[in-house]
Amino acid sequence: MNHASTKRTRRVLAIALSVASGCMAASDISGFWALRFDSKNVPMAELSPKVTKAALDAHLRKDADAIRWCNHLGVPFVMDDPSSGPIDIRQGRVEVAVVSNVVSVARHLYIDGRKHVNPDAFDPTTSGDSVGRWEGDTLIVDTIGIAGNRGITSIPGGGFRTDKSHLVERYRLLEGGKQLSVTFTWDDPDVFRVPHTYQYIYYRAPAGSEGGTLACNPFDEQRTSFLTGTPK
Amino acid sequence: MLDEGTGMKLCLTLLKPVLGVCLSAGVAGAAGDLSGFWERRDTAGSGAWENIDAKIPKAVLLRPAEANGGGRGSAPQPADSAKHAAGQPYIVTNGRCGTMGLPGAMAHSAALDIVQGKAETLIVGEMPGVQHIFTDGRQHPAAQLIEPSATGHSVGHWEGDTFVVDTVGLTAGGGIPGGGQKSRETHLIERFRLLDGGKRMTVTFTWDDPKIYARPHTYEYTYFKDPDGSYAFEEWRDSGDPLQKQSIVPRE
Repeated sequence: MNHASTKRTRRVLAIALSVASGCMAASDISGFWALRFDSKNVPMAELSPKVTKAALDAHLRKDADAIRWCNHLGVPFVMDDPSSGPIDIRQGRVEVAVVSNVVSVARHLYIDGRKHVNPDAFDPTTSGDSVGRWEGDTLIVDTIGIAGNRGITSIPGGGFRTDKSHLVERYRLLEGGKQLSVTFTWDDPDVFRVPHTYQYIYYRAPAGSEGGTLACNPFDEQRTSFLTGTPK
Repeated sequence: MLDEGTGMKLCLTLLKPVLGVCLSAGVAGAAGDLSGFWERRDTAGSGAWENIDAKIPKAVLLRPAEANGGGRGSAPQPADSAKHAAGQPYIVTNGRCGTMGLPGAMAHSAALDIVQGKAETLIVGEMPGVQHIFTDGRQHPAAQLIEPSATGHSVGHWEGDTFVVDTVGLTAGGGIPGGGQKSRETHLIERFRLLDGGKRMTVTFTWDDPKIYARPHTYEYTYFKDPDGSYAFEEWRDSGDPLQKQSIVPRE
């Protein structure tokens, strides 16, 4: 085998491996997925002593402000809200997109083997920079670069996200694809004493389900009055 | 040492199960793979996009007086719609976090991310508002059952190398490049086609509406593929941030 043909064979092999990395996912988690009343197993987070009540209150006020002004709500809220309908998870060759009906940008979970964008170059977003890989039947997604001061910052079980937060999610199909388990683990030295883990079970929405974006108008006076006024 | 034929056979043996999985996943099974980030290119850098909007044919409207063809098709924000007296400052953007819809989303200067799955293709921008294109063979719901939205209800199928997307249920109003606007009866057909080995993509837009257009209105955009490894940005706006309000003073 001469040098040229060896190079040709290697090139074909490289293409095969490239195609394989894009296509040979263990599962396809695509679908519309809904949370139910009994979908959440969320223990209380063990917070760092650095987290004061004043800091927690400030984040709650910030979250209320984000809702009032129709800001992009971001992670983790887009994965959390059963009232706004099922989330749409769509698995493509390069990425898995996660689209929620709440006001938010889509999540992009890149599964093409890339590393995180250099944090010095990445402008933090409300959904962060997410890269995923398959380990057997589990899609493991690693997220950094979440903007700590934008959107809903509260984390289920206690605490809040900051610019330093690191989220690892493990997606796994159960019951022959009728359920999707997602385990969330948050780590942040400024917020958690130990990594904080909780689990959701999503249920596959019926065939023909569809998504949309809930309208949100920050200049709707009636809405603003309701959100900021005294409950009657 | 393997000879070239044996080496190629080995590669094809490796490829066979891979392609089987791809086909079953529906990705390689489609006539084309539109996956990736795409953007229109302003090569002159003037912000005029090589005058693309001026090159779009003028729509033939039933009632020309109602022409509302915005260059990029975006609906005006509430703060834009008031009358502005000469010399008086007014707010041109209030930082409102709007939802991207059609046709504005496809004319935006930011990259579009196409995620092509088996049952659905998503077109994702840098703002809220995603076009869900169902490719599982479903039909549009009956018109009276569709809640109008910025991106409408879209179904798609492949015709040879062309991905044909049919959209109804768009929110009325707004502007369409070349003229016209949307109503509850507006019908859009988009035809996506890859060129230059996947480096470019053309999308032909055809708008039809028995109350607005005398005949279907068609124009085309060309998009360029971003390099592998490109990633999404977020177009952040905050209506609650006073710094995001910008005003302008019209000439006396």
